[in-house]
Amino acid sequence: MKLRRILYAIVTVIVASSLFISALAEWQDSGTQEDWRYTGFVQRIPVASVCCILGAVGVIYLGWYQLRLTRAVTSIATLLQDDKSGDTHDGKRFFPPPKLTKIDELYQALRKHFAGCTSRITEYEKKIRDLQVKFQLSQRRGENTEAIIYSIRDAVIVIDESDRLLMANEAAGRLFNFDYNSSKLKPVSELIGPEQDEFAHFLSHNRQSMGQATRKEIEFSKDKTSEIFDCIVSCLYDQDRQVCGAVAVLHDITREKQVQQMKNDFVSHVSHELKTPLASITAFTEMLADGEANDEKTRKEFYSVIQSQAQRLNRLIEDILNCSRIESGLIKINKETASLTMLIEEQLQMIKGYAEEKEVKVIGQKPIIYDQVDVDKDMIQEVIVNLLSNAVKYTPSGGSVKIETEVDENAALVRVSVTDTGVGIPEDDIEHVFDKFYRVSANKKQAEGTGLGLNLVKQIIEKVHDGRVFVMSKVGVGSTFGFELPLATGQAVRTV
Amino acid sequence: MTGKKVLVVDDEIHIVHVVAIKLRNNGYEVISADNGAEAFDLACEEKPDIIVTDFQMPVMSGLELVEKLRQRDDTKDIPVIMLTARSFAISKEQQEDLRISSCLSKPFSPKELLGNIEDVLYQKQVMVSN
Repeated sequence: MKLRRILYAIVTVIVASSLFISALAEWQDSGTQEDWRYTGFVQRIPVASVCCILGAVGVIYLGWYQLRLTRAVTSIATLLQDDKSGDTHDGKRFFPPPKLTKIDELYQALRKHFAGCTSRITEYEKKIRDLQVKFQLSQRRGENTEAIIYSIRDAVIVIDESDRLLMANEAAGRLFNFDYNSSKLKPVSELIGPEQDEFAHFLSHNRQSMGQATRKEIEFSKDKTSEIFDCIVSCLYDQDRQVCGAVAVLHDITREKQVQQMKNDFVSHVSHELKTPLASITAFTEMLADGEANDEKTRKEFYSVIQSQAQRLNRLIEDILNCSRIESGLIKINKETASLTMLIEEQLQMIKGYAEEKEVKVIGQKPIIYDQVDVDKDMIQEVIVNLLSNAVKYTPSGGSVKIETEVDENAALVRVSVTDTGVGIPEDDIEHVFDKFYRVSANKKQAEGTGLGLNLVKQIIEKVHDGRVFVMSKVGVGSTFGFELPLATGQAVRTV
Repeated sequence: MTGKKVLVVDDEIHIVHVVAIKLRNNGYEVISADNGAEAFDLACEEKPDIIVTDFQMPVMSGLELVEKLRQRDDTKDIPVIMLTARSFAISKEQQEDLRISSCLSKPFSPKELLGNIEDVLYQKQVMVSN
């Protein structure tokens, strides 16, 4: 290569010097006009001719070289242009590769480079398309997740590593009284207020602990009412398994707690009620066994107490079972069309003996009403006997108990009421008389009871027969207990 | 312990009856009430040597009765034995604070109750003589 450069330099020097010498020779000739033919010929022909030939060769070579250079540059330019426009270049569509070694190397290097670039661009374009699809999918997935979180009934709160709100759903906004859309990135302790400090502390503490999901029952007080929530807090992790926040799910368990409390109260009540007659039975049995009953009369009295308390225990168990069977829907109900008047008549016969014993007058209904109801006969008889025996039980000797039936054709129902002239129920107790195990304290001495009879009446009438129970009472005057049942397909015929 | 006066309080008439017979057979004098309020008046009036009371009663519970008794100078030292149908109805702290001598859960043995009464009265006698 170096040699070629030297050669080009020599050719250029020769061309330049031959042109200079020929010019000089011509100038000398012009000074000596008399000898011009001889000296001019001898000097000019060989030198000038050789110089001119060499100069011409040099110029031709330079021109040819220039042409090759131009072609090489043009092909590179075309290569660049075509590559820019995104065409593939397999070599056929270009000028033939230039023969100049360096230019050829450059051309090949550029071609290779552009081939690499193109394949990389294609690869990147594919990646971009994949990423776009992934992004759309992830965006849709994110929207779906947000929609799911927003529609969850439980309150959901998501916080970042600085305890600021990232996301909250409507239930959370309602619970803590903030607008969840405009509260993003606000400190969660500020949003939920100082009253709910326990929750904010629990949330923050669990995020910092970086441990497993933790649950805690927290009571939230709002407007004098309190709600209990089961709060579960789990840490959120990024790709490097570093904690980047926490999510809290708050499930309202107020109702469950109430039911649980009611169950506990019920069990506690039941055990208390069962233990009371059992305590008498145990004590009197021990007294008999220890010979504490000194005479036959006392022994008989003890036996009688044991017997009555055992019966009381049995009644209690029966009533508890009936109540829970009706409540749980396990009891078999056999509904048939029956005349309520006939059912009442049957029960009046049953109660007669007890009423006579207590010297209480029982007045049946007049005139006779033919009323048809779809009922479970056994259950309704239980209701009637409960109401009648209660009325007789709490009515002093000489008093009366009246049972009446009336049909309200417009409302398509029949109303049965049992009115006594008994002790009556204090105002404060009235609303509780149908509650389980509730016994009017003032009347406890009057008669024994399980505290379940009226609850059973309510359950049978309201839960099994879609009816309604009612009570009216005045202390010292008497009480009226009754119920309403829908008539069977609206049929009611009254004859006087 | 013969002649000592025992106040028996329970809304369950049969329990009062059986305890009264047991105590009378063993030489005690028995007075009774069927709720806390009535028992309090009777205790103030009669100053019994010991009170046996039910825990759950209408009008005034056994616990309220003891609280009221402990507030009065003339009744604050009367020993009390509590009968209860509910387990864990009274905590150890409550029992100590109100100086309830012992708690018996229902169903109870009249014999055991008598034994308890005798123990409590004996301790009281020893303390007084000291």
